[in-house]
Amino acid sequence: MKLNRFRKSVGYAVIIFSSLIMILPFLTTLFNSLKTYAQYTAFPPKWIPRPIQWSNYLEVWKLGAFEQYTINSVIVTVLSVCGALISCSMVAFAFARLRFPFKNTLFMIVLGTMMIPPVVLIIPQFVIFKSLYMLDTLTPLWIIEWLAQPFGIFLMRQAFLMIPKDYEESAKLDGCNPFQIYWKIFLPMCKPTFATLAVFTFMTKWNEILSPAIFLTSKENFTLPIGILSMAGQWSGNEQYMVAAALMSLIPILLVFLFAEKYFVQGTNSSGIK
Amino acid sequence: MKSQHKKWGALLLAITLLSALLISGCSTKGKGGGDVELKLGFYSSAQSDEKMQELIAKFQEKHPNIKIKTESSPYNQFFQKLDTQIAAESAPDVWLSDGVLVPKYAERGVLKDLTEWIQRDLKAGDYYGLEFNKDAAGKYWGVPQGIQIAVLYYNKDMFDEAQIEYPTDAWSWDDLKTAAEKLTKDTNGKYAVDPAFDKNKISQYGLTFFSITEGWMTVLKSYGGGVLNETLEQSIIDSPENKAALDWIVDGMQRELLPTPSDLKSFQSNMAPFPSKAAAMRIGIYARTIDANAAGLNYDVTLLPKGPEGKRFSPVIANSWVINKKAEGAVGEAAWEWVKFWATEDEVQKEWASLGEAVPVKKSVANSEQFLSGSPANKQAFLDSFEFAGTLDVNAVWSEWVGKFNDSINRAFEGEISVEQAMKQADQEVQKVLDEFYKK
Repeated sequence: MKLNRFRKSVGYAVIIFSSLIMILPFLTTLFNSLKTYAQYTAFPPKWIPRPIQWSNYLEVWKLGAFEQYTINSVIVTVLSVCGALISCSMVAFAFARLRFPFKNTLFMIVLGTMMIPPVVLIIPQFVIFKSLYMLDTLTPLWIIEWLAQPFGIFLMRQAFLMIPKDYEESAKLDGCNPFQIYWKIFLPMCKPTFATLAVFTFMTKWNEILSPAIFLTSKENFTLPIGILSMAGQWSGNEQYMVAAALMSLIPILLVFLFAEKYFVQGTNSSGIK
Repeated sequence: MKSQHKKWGALLLAITLLSALLISGCSTKGKGGGDVELKLGFYSSAQSDEKMQELIAKFQEKHPNIKIKTESSPYNQFFQKLDTQIAAESAPDVWLSDGVLVPKYAERGVLKDLTEWIQRDLKAGDYYGLEFNKDAAGKYWGVPQGIQIAVLYYNKDMFDEAQIEYPTDAWSWDDLKTAAEKLTKDTNGKYAVDPAFDKNKISQYGLTFFSITEGWMTVLKSYGGGVLNETLEQSIIDSPENKAALDWIVDGMQRELLPTPSDLKSFQSNMAPFPSKAAAMRIGIYARTIDANAAGLNYDVTLLPKGPEGKRFSPVIANSWVINKKAEGAVGEAAWEWVKFWATEDEVQKEWASLGEAVPVKKSVANSEQFLSGSPANKQAFLDSFEFAGTLDVNAVWSEWVGKFNDSINRAFEGEISVEQAMKQADQEVQKVLDEFYKK
């Protein structure tokens, strides 16, 4: 009994210690966002801001078109998430369940494209979107996700492969065509993977810097990361404002995560066949 | 089953046709007769953007036939994007370039040669630093938008506390070091002149020192050395003058009177020691007044110290307007109108100077009460420094060779290798970078 209690307290100590390590950078950010410029650059660094400079957050609202940046970011991420979920799952279903020539070779090629660094792709993409008259609009940022990105395909394919063949066969017997199998059987069974892909896409798009920086030119089209970066000049940092802005831009990500969390803990649906 | 396939096929075809129609429909853009559309690119911060928009509005009032379309981005992203745009042949017609990047674009054939226009429309005597964009062949590639020039910043409170005289324009680098010994303090409050001084626990440096502009270039050049020869295609690193200058720096760093590059890592940024009151002096360009004023320092500035032979050097970065080579005819003329508007109009120069980011290019405005008043008190020092000012040996591969030079020299600064070794290594590496571009 005593040993058990000892074990438990060691366990708790480890958990508390590691969560402190995780929470520390976040706290530092929070404190930094509440400092004056002098406190922010102080040497040796001061932990606690004194006095607490709440006005940094107000200043952020005043400095840039923060509402507009947020709206733009929301448009891009929501459309991207929809696109990624629909396109990746369709392609993944084909790779996982349909039969067609060169399937495995094609899949290998798709996976291979994951190795290409984004910087290499950006110039050809720029040229393509330029000739489609899509530069300086939000379209190039989300439309790419509707063209099934390799990571999403890979993720969804793995999930579909886990589903026993028997489901598919019984559905076929009941007269389902492949699209119905995909839509009515496979999609509902892979909710946790969907949630994962959604959160992943959301975070990538929400924090994306390279593409918006290259494709967007007018201020009213900026997304949040570019808006935050444009608070700094060539010479002056305004770092304390940038930290405050970055923290504010985190809120939607936290909300999405909290919302999607319950899907993460849900088990797989393999209990349907016994 | 077959008919279903056909249906899908027809649907796909319809979608393709429809999108093709939509796209081609978008491409027929109407253009007003006689009007010129000018694509203007600039990097900006939230504060400067507002001012830029005001000035653009003023320009449009004067030139109703020129329609300006702005393309602005944060500083780093601007140049990343510019490179993409140049590759895709859709760079702006006129853009604001960091001074150190002008030759990069000029020597790669992206910029218009402005020599004729400058000689026709601008009186060289009216401006500070038109020559900072002149290449070895005497061609002009840009017109400065605002100038950064370095002086010596000093924190008056720290000098008062250590009870020593403020720096004067008669100082040599050795005078500076003597003062730095009395200003470098450890966490026990002992100064570097005290035998009990612990150099492993610094709380205050005598002089903060970082990279090229606000670091080694100033010292090297005032010692009579430098990095590149006059054609800017040959390294002259391995010289006795540079050796003397680097010895001065390394000695200072080993005694911790100056922070080494790794010491700077404990600060929020490489620029932070002076505004955060952890350094008594700094070599600083004009823009550093922003942070110093924001931190509420009691400080002033004076000329940078002299070398052993009495030579002085003040590094300059002239951010400049440059025009795309592809902007021809009416668009090219419109671009020049914008550049001229910026350089010649007193009002524009004054408005921009009010941001406090740079020294105005036009002498009449730089010497006005509006610019010279305010903090620091001795702003005149910035203007006086033009007498011995020079660029940072800027050429087409500037960023690359500075990177190589820093890699080698920083190892000597950290005490890993000797100054001679670092110089030899830097000389080879820098020459390699130069040869790769210039010897083809």
